[in-house]
Amino acid sequence: MALKALDIYKLLPKKNCKECGDPTCLTFAMKLASGKGDLEKCPYLDPGAKNILGASTRPPIQLVKIGVGERRFAVGEEFVLFRHEKTFYHPPGIMFEVSDLWSGKEIEAVTRRVGSEHYVRVGTDLTFSGVAIRNESGDPDQFAEAVGVVEATGTHVPEVLMAHDPAVQEAGLKKCGNFRPLIYSATIDSYKPLCALAKKFGSPLVVSAKDLLSLGELTKLCNAEGINDLLLDLSFPSLREYIPAATEVRQKSILRSAPELGYPVFLDTTRYPMQDAALILGIDKYAGVIVTRALSPASSVAALTLRQNIYTDPQKPIQMNPGIYPVGNPGKESPVLLTVNFSLTYFTVQGYLESSRVPCYMFIVDTEGLSVLTAVAAGKLNEALVRDSIKKFDLEHLVSHRRLIIPGYASPLSGKIEEETGWKVLVGPRDAAEIGDYLAKEWKS
Amino acid sequence: MSENSPDSSGKIGYVVLGATKAEGGTRTVSFRLGGESDLPFIGMNTGQGSIPLVAFEICDDPEYWSPIVTSYTGDLSNDAREWAGVAEKQYGADIIRLYLTSTKRRGFDNFSSITTVMEEVLSGTGLPLVVEGSNEPAIDSDVFQRCGEAGEGERLLLGTAEAGRYRSVAAAALAYHHSVLAQSPIDINLAKQLNILLREIGVKADHIMIDPYTGTLGYGFEYSYSVMERIRSAALKGDTDLAMPMITSATDSLSVKEVREADPAALEDIAVEWEFYAALSSAIAGSSVVCVRHPKTVPLLKSAFRELWAGKMPGEA
Ligand code: SF4
Repeated sequence: MALKALDIYKLLPKKNCKECGDPTCLTFAMKLASGKGDLEKCPYLDPGAKNILGASTRPPIQLVKIGVGERRFAVGEEFVLFRHEKTFYHPPGIMFEVSDLWSGKEIEAVTRRVGSEHYVRVGTDLTFSGVAIRNESGDPDQFAEAVGVVEATGTHVPEVLMAHDPAVQEAGLKKCGNFRPLIYSATIDSYKPLCALAKKFGSPLVVSAKDLLSLGELTKLCNAEGINDLLLDLSFPSLREYIPAATEVRQKSILRSAPELGYPVFLDTTRYPMQDAALILGIDKYAGVIVTRALSPASSVAALTLRQNIYTDPQKPIQMNPGIYPVGNPGKESPVLLTVNFSLTYFTVQGYLESSRVPCYMFIVDTEGLSVLTAVAAGKLNEALVRDSIKKFDLEHLVSHRRLIIPGYASPLSGKIEEETGWKVLVGPRDAAEIGDYLAKEWKS
Repeated sequence: MSENSPDSSGKIGYVVLGATKAEGGTRTVSFRLGGESDLPFIGMNTGQGSIPLVAFEICDDPEYWSPIVTSYTGDLSNDAREWAGVAEKQYGADIIRLYLTSTKRRGFDNFSSITTVMEEVLSGTGLPLVVEGSNEPAIDSDVFQRCGEAGEGERLLLGTAEAGRYRSVAAAALAYHHSVLAQSPIDINLAKQLNILLREIGVKADHIMIDPYTGTLGYGFEYSYSVMERIRSAALKGDTDLAMPMITSATDSLSVKEVREADPAALEDIAVEWEFYAALSSAIAGSSVVCVRHPKTVPLLKSAFRELWAGKMPGEA
């Protein structure tokens, strides 16, 4: 059960010494209550209080770190059911599967791909997260060899060791156990030896069982063995079960009504006929680690873009700096197109303008990151803003004409803008896709 | 209702699309959308709600259509009647969404051609239709009137109504008993406001579908995804002004840079995946009808929905 800030405060030393990094014990208590504080930061806490607070102030979903070095990542520590309620913090790791039945060359190729493949989108580098090495041979030596091939690439990508037999698992861990690979997976029959291995190598562990109830029981057994860095395997036989199960896990853990389910989710998409569908479900709905066969180039970009979209902070409007942006090599007679500083609007319009091959100026005004539609509706895009922006960016000296193309959705403002600025306003299309056609037909300089 | 539901009592209302002979139309099938009282893909074991449907988008003037599609379909896209038939029989779509792109031509005034196109498409397919009328306020009233009249009795979904531009489409819908597609710009409050406006002029709640506007993957999709989730949550909490089924279409999917500028050898695959990822995610966020333009995306979505859906199939009692 979650404790309130005041209950927590009562258990703190009340020295207000600031050593925890918070100005007072009370603010530290508030942080703990929201699940974001770290108990260890207060050096004066007595062990009794620590025990009571430990269970109830850890984040509702355990933070689990996988891998070491530059490519390591962490999952868990989420607080909401829907991203609009706050944000999702830790995007799922997408791990490409390799098998110990494959040739060394094949394993190496997939590993190197994960090591080097990346896409840059909206200023961020997007990559796949690691490699999942599956034991299909049943042979410890062969498994160790496959792990060795991955290690030998020197890519240092995080790994999942997929071997149910503890002896095989151990053979793999001997090769890479120092690099915090994820161990997959412990069942009710194998949890003891696997917990022992997880402890020995400091690795996180996936637990598998037939339903949520048994998973919860299993995590408690693992806790008793001293293992807290756990993931719940929700790769049930039918993909249909995924969304209900993942939602129930998220909901119960954030409400702290079932702390035994407060762990990130693991999803193996390779077992479903439609791997892409399973991957989409995992990205949209709460997965922490997802295993897939190496994706086609088309699925790769789509999957990484979707993951970036879902894990973008929804509170943060994505903005461009207002100003004048030339497209092609515009001159004094070139058209000027006004739009807003919502970056996605900017990139969309810019893409179409580039392909229209008409040199022009994009005139970006500050609507605080709102789209055209929303900015017009909210009154943020108005004639005064246009007038002031023309002055500010010295548009009058940039071009010799006095014609301004505004977005179709801003058409209600055309008269007012003309009055306020003295510029002739031309109403462009609503749909950015039609802008090339529009310029070809309407713009005669 | 399952224990996973947000606190509450609300339920998505019903909207019927299409009318069979027995229902006074000529469609071979009709769909009753809505009825969910839980989050998407959760409450279906209890028998509620309906599987998401896939609408295939066609147009009557392919000059205004993505070359990625027209190069795939070839001449077919010059004949809306045949295209609609192929979309039903070969692509496997559930619904046809017709865009009257011919009205985009400058100075368009050949209104009788709209009646002809409508009749052709209605004869080319037995599926329910969504019809997108004009893009130009000055001719809205003529265009919607023709669409509505030509589809009388067929329970069309007529679009697009927006705040400040909904009267013509609503008038045609009311006169000929169709439903209205109500689009708002990725904003839950504006969605609600438009539904209220529509109801004030007589459009019933069971004749409205919400289109929250879908930015495509990488271009605002995250905003659309969250607005869909918010609309669905608000409806489940009892807000009847938002309790209409949603229809979504990431129409820019085929024209964003990632797709348009893809290596020609991979272009088709990227186009399909870009649509598939956005459409399946939209259904996960609560959309009842997802619309796509690439023929190859249709069967992918249909199989994904079949794999995920444990509830009733359309037509089952
Ligand atoms: S370190 Fe402990 S005692 Fe000092 S202010 Fe923080 S909570 Fe209070």
